[in-house]
Amino acid sequence: MSRLYLRWGLLISAVGVIAWLAAGYYTRHLVSVTPEAVVNGQLTGDLVRVQGMVEAGTLAGDVESGRVRFMLGGEDEAIPVRYDGPPPENLRELKTLVAIGRWEAADRVFLAHDLALVSNYGFVMGAYAIGLIPLGLFLFAMERRVGLLYREIKQSKLYEPEADQDVDAR
Amino acid sequence: MINAMIKWMQRYEGWVGAGGALCLLAGLYLSLVASPPDYYQGEVVRIMYIHVPLVQTAMLAYSVLFAGSLWYLWKRDPIVDNLCHAAAGISAFLTAAGLITGSIWAKPTWNTWWTWDARLVSFAVMFLILVGYLMLRTFVDDPEREARYAAVLAIVGFVDLPIVHFSVEWWRTLHQPLSISMRGVALSGEMLRPLIVMSIGFSALFVYLLMVRTQMLYLTRLLHAKKGRLLSHAHLSDLDT
Repeated sequence: MSRLYLRWGLLISAVGVIAWLAAGYYTRHLVSVTPEAVVNGQLTGDLVRVQGMVEAGTLAGDVESGRVRFMLGGEDEAIPVRYDGPPPENLRELKTLVAIGRWEAADRVFLAHDLALVSNYGFVMGAYAIGLIPLGLFLFAMERRVGLLYREIKQSKLYEPEADQDVDAR
Repeated sequence: MINAMIKWMQRYEGWVGAGGALCLLAGLYLSLVASPPDYYQGEVVRIMYIHVPLVQTAMLAYSVLFAGSLWYLWKRDPIVDNLCHAAAGISAFLTAAGLITGSIWAKPTWNTWWTWDARLVSFAVMFLILVGYLMLRTFVDDPEREARYAAVLAIVGFVDLPIVHFSVEWWRTLHQPLSISMRGVALSGEMLRPLIVMSIGFSALFVYLLMVRTQMLYLTRLLHAKKGRLLSHAHLSDLDT
């Protein structure tokens, strides 16, 4: 049985490493802040991801050329965004998205060079957790049961030839 | 005596399990870290790499149950019945996981947890057939009759599998059509790679689960039978004295 626990320990460690790498990827590439946090100066690093909704009637400029301006709204605050980058395919009014760029505190404008969709990482993690954790528990319980059954059979000496077979052999 | 098929499972289960675990670990890295987000769905597309292999493997498990049931009705080999019983339990588990992950994927993409779509309904029917199969196995007392009835139910229930597979072709559904079909592959290489690795990993995991669960059911039956025989021997000896 100790081999079973060792094997599962190694497997859980490997899954832990992948979870750690995924969490690192999430922190580096997907964590976003609200427009309120930008206005209040609660920013870390130069490159900022701000999640909010493109306010109605504020989208101006030429979307085809990739040079547009709009207001990105949060719960209480909205920040002006000046976007200059690849022509955005998902940009429209009332769309919730993530603007990637830097905050110019002096001009009070957010200079975005890229736009991304809302990450919804909670759904992704939920699906992987529900898909894998019960499966792991199911497999572990079965492996343990098989180990216990083999032990029980060996201890009860049920491997020994039965009386009927001995009689037949004689 | 331990059955020859069980001995074969004992010998090879480690290799299959290790191969499956390595594939799944590589697949998890590719799907969660290395693959790009989708331009339309964003990061949510990563659910595909777990949902699709779960559903494919659930259907593979049902196919094994179907083939095993035909085999059982032909040969009446109890170990094949154990294999079918094991495949049904695993398939039910994977079908439930496939339904739940699909529901989680549906919420951010379709803005609903559930819809009465042909693919979703036919797959839920498959789950109900498997639950019915497992319930039937607990209701019948005579093991031979239990195995025979269960095999017939599994064979009749197999009619749902083509409906699940082709539902997106036969009816207008909210569910997307087949990404991999005779018409070609409608996925980019960067997305196809993690999907294939995860599918191979889940298939190997299914084979491993099948080996372990078949052994578990076989050993339980063996232990009960032998204990019962020993008890009856003891009972007869008591009567003699």
